[in-house]
Amino acid sequence: MIGKLNKDQIKKVGLTAVGFVILLYVYFSFFLGPLNRSRNTMLTAIADKRAKINSSQENLAKTAKLEQQAKSATTRFAALKALNPEGAPIAWFPPRMKAFFGNQQIDKVTARLENNTAFKQPEMANWLKYTWLVDVPQVDYAQLGKAIAELENAEPLLTVSKLSIRASADQPEYQQVALSAVTVIPKQ
Amino acid sequence: MALHLNLLHEQILETRQRQRDPLKIGTMILAGIGAMLFLYYGWNAYRTLSIKARLSSVEHEWAKVEPKVTAAEKRSTELNNIIKTTTVLDDYIDQRFFWAPFLEKLSRCIAPNTQLTSVEGSVLEEKGISVSIEGVAAAREPRSAAEDLRQMLSEQLTQGGYSDVKVEFKALDDLDTIASVGGASVPMAHYILAVSFQPAGKPKPVAPAGRGPRK
Repeated sequence: MIGKLNKDQIKKVGLTAVGFVILLYVYFSFFLGPLNRSRNTMLTAIADKRAKINSSQENLAKTAKLEQQAKSATTRFAALKALNPEGAPIAWFPPRMKAFFGNQQIDKVTARLENNTAFKQPEMANWLKYTWLVDVPQVDYAQLGKAIAELENAEPLLTVSKLSIRASADQPEYQQVALSAVTVIPKQ
Repeated sequence: MALHLNLLHEQILETRQRQRDPLKIGTMILAGIGAMLFLYYGWNAYRTLSIKARLSSVEHEWAKVEPKVTAAEKRSTELNNIIKTTTVLDDYIDQRFFWAPFLEKLSRCIAPNTQLTSVEGSVLEEKGISVSIEGVAAAREPRSAAEDLRQMLSEQLTQGGYSDVKVEFKALDDLDTIASVGGASVPMAHYILAVSFQPAGKPKPVAPAGRGPRK
């Protein structure tokens, strides 16, 4: 059939073929392609959101369950936190020690801050260890033992890391005592 | 045979040529394909619009849930932190060494003929407890009195639930000083005891009872 076409007709056929190619290019590049891309993006977004919604239901359930399980931990945490008053420890710890030993009939007790250090554990990032030097210039041994027992019972976050008991040169019935006490206190 | 003359052959040829015009046919084919492509595009656009509507409803649903989820995640993190912190604090509390029971045991070991002049104790991380006890003993055999104290202390600490108990003399020297015990003059010895042990059990603090170290 091409053999029967004249030169003018062949030109027209070529022109039509070029038009067809241009039509397909424009159609796929500027119409159908972007439309499909947009549709695929939306389908991905829907799948993503659906997955998030489904996992969120699980998360909500897990949190509710965790809330139940953590009841005792939260109560205990609040109780431990409440052991320490608000404010700088240097402001309230020395008077507290003085009052504590005063209640045990041990006077002239002084406490001073030696240092504070952070915990190694990451979960304790909001807590600090404070080391205090507690001086008891004059005390009877039995009285001291009772006071230390009372202190260790009353202050669960306090530990005596060093203890020094020396005989008093002036009054042999009494001892001079120095305690190094470590307390765990939330960061202010 | 009849003779047929076609006097309109030029017009017919022209009409046929017009009908067979490739540009016209191509344009018609292109128009047809274009119409089909347009319909296909329209169908796709319709589907895309419905997907867009679905996306919009899902986003609306997510917008309702998201604040709750964010709050729940925050609360969950907070609770996990509280649980971990409480566990660490509980471990810290459980692993404390209580000095009062130790002082009580020490006070039980002090016989009337021995004296303590100083007690220095410290809690060493992972190494247990280390205590240095210094004093004097007065007896006919002052070294024996000091040895009695060492043995009794070792026994008391072992029975008290501590492990790896070591009570050793760091120094034991005779003194020139003479002491009067029960009206009798007896020689004296100076001793330094190095005590180390592990607080294996978890003794509760108990106030020391009985007599204290004699001065």
